[in-house]
Amino acid sequence: MKRLLQVFLGVLTAIGGFVDIGDLVANALVGARFGMSLAWVVLVGVVGICLFAEMSGRVAAVTGRGTFDLVRERLGVRAGLLNLVASMLVTFLTLAAELGGVALAIELATSVNYLLFVPLVAFLVWFVIWRMPFEHMERAFGLLGLALVVFAVAFWKLGPDWGSMLHQASHPAVPDGEGHPTYWYYAIALFGAAMTPYEVFFFSSGAVEEGWTKKDLMIERINVYLGFPLGGLLSIAIAGCTWLVFMPAGVEVDHLDQVALPVALAAGKVGLAFVIVGFVAATFGAALETGLSTGYSIAQYLGWSWGKSVAPVRAARFHAVVLVAIVLGAMLILTTVDPIMVTEYSIVFSAVALPLTYFPILVVANDPGYMGEAVNSRLTNALGTAYLGLLTVVSLAAIPLMVATKAGQ
Amino acid sequence: MMAGRVLDLALHLLDRQIIDTDGNPVGNVDDVEIDESGYVEALLVGPQAVAGRLGGRLGEWLAFWTRVLQGGTEPTRIPVDLLTDLGSHITVARSRTELGAHRNEDRAREYLIGRIPGGRREGE
Repeated sequence: MKRLLQVFLGVLTAIGGFVDIGDLVANALVGARFGMSLAWVVLVGVVGICLFAEMSGRVAAVTGRGTFDLVRERLGVRAGLLNLVASMLVTFLTLAAELGGVALAIELATSVNYLLFVPLVAFLVWFVIWRMPFEHMERAFGLLGLALVVFAVAFWKLGPDWGSMLHQASHPAVPDGEGHPTYWYYAIALFGAAMTPYEVFFFSSGAVEEGWTKKDLMIERINVYLGFPLGGLLSIAIAGCTWLVFMPAGVEVDHLDQVALPVALAAGKVGLAFVIVGFVAATFGAALETGLSTGYSIAQYLGWSWGKSVAPVRAARFHAVVLVAIVLGAMLILTTVDPIMVTEYSIVFSAVALPLTYFPILVVANDPGYMGEAVNSRLTNALGTAYLGLLTVVSLAAIPLMVATKAGQ
Repeated sequence: MMAGRVLDLALHLLDRQIIDTDGNPVGNVDDVEIDESGYVEALLVGPQAVAGRLGGRLGEWLAFWTRVLQGGTEPTRIPVDLLTDLGSHITVARSRTELGAHRNEDRAREYLIGRIPGGRREGE
């Protein structure tokens, strides 16, 4: 019974924790401009993140080592360093975007300019990392993030024509008035948002923090295979809401309050309250994950002690990196740069960095010397290799498409 | 203890995580010391050792800043007879304090983390 509850809570946490500022913005933007014609990308992204999150969790459970430990070992000191720098720039940009996202969500509730909240949000993010035990932290924000399920309720209440929705989703076509390059640019953004690299840095390091062993692999798999796809459905519901409300009017989404509007229309004040709680929880939770991920990755590359499960003074450099990353992230947002724009760039650059993260994981999960019996199955290898090809194409296409479409305009 | 074992240097030693007797991370194998006949004598840990392997501008830059910040210190040297296990990580039969491989960690603790309220509490 206790085990069942553990599984249940784990799945709920995975659903609530799936969506972050990148998913919110990308799905809302795409829904308003492309309707359901890009829903397939979320599906492909979810399968990919399930595949690689499971692999990285399995590697962590079997070897007790986080992703960047392996990146350096497999790629060597030079290529590993390049990988680290690129991945950390993307993760830092994501951290800044999440901090801005929390502040914007509070602005929605209070009508006070978001910039005033940025220092407070940054302090709270650091404080939670500093004091809150790992498992409580992950669970609390994951469960609160479930408030975003209100998007699914709103979508249902807005009453889409289910037949035409299914047709659009299963027969994707570029909508009138949009070019092929923009369609593919947003496909890549959506894919980058679903497969953001920090998710596996956090997932694998978190597994080490929680002291997973081979015995926990079954629970890990249930969390991933059930939680992430349901989180993906939530993303599609967000796109569905903006599709129904904004696409007929030809309005583009470029503010967070627009993302919330369909819910307010469909579910009133109570719905809006849920959306705001969900926004804050999802972005705050992701700010914790990205902040920790910078510390995890840098410490693992350099062989330092790291993590929340040891006393802070015993992982002093790790905590120093996390602190500095949060302060710098807050400073970036305080320059008054638009947080939504930071988010858009963070997901496209995530797409560029995808092979850097996923290639070493695939190599190690495939190494029997490391993994023993828990080595990748043939099916996992075939899928992993196919995805790696896809990730490489996405990575190479991202920047040219960004330039060609002037970042999707 | 591990003498005589044939290993692929790049694959089995370089860049592996080193763990001390208490299970604490010491650092990565940043470089190795090899005697005239080609046997590995010691593992080297520290930015000085990384700088040599990085090479180029980046290596020079790292070497320069390490000299500025740490004086003329040598990298931490771990003789191979201290190694007790070679697996997904390398275990050493000394604590990291005994190895002297924690100078920067000490600094971060003294000047920053140890001064923040709650920094000296136990782990979770």
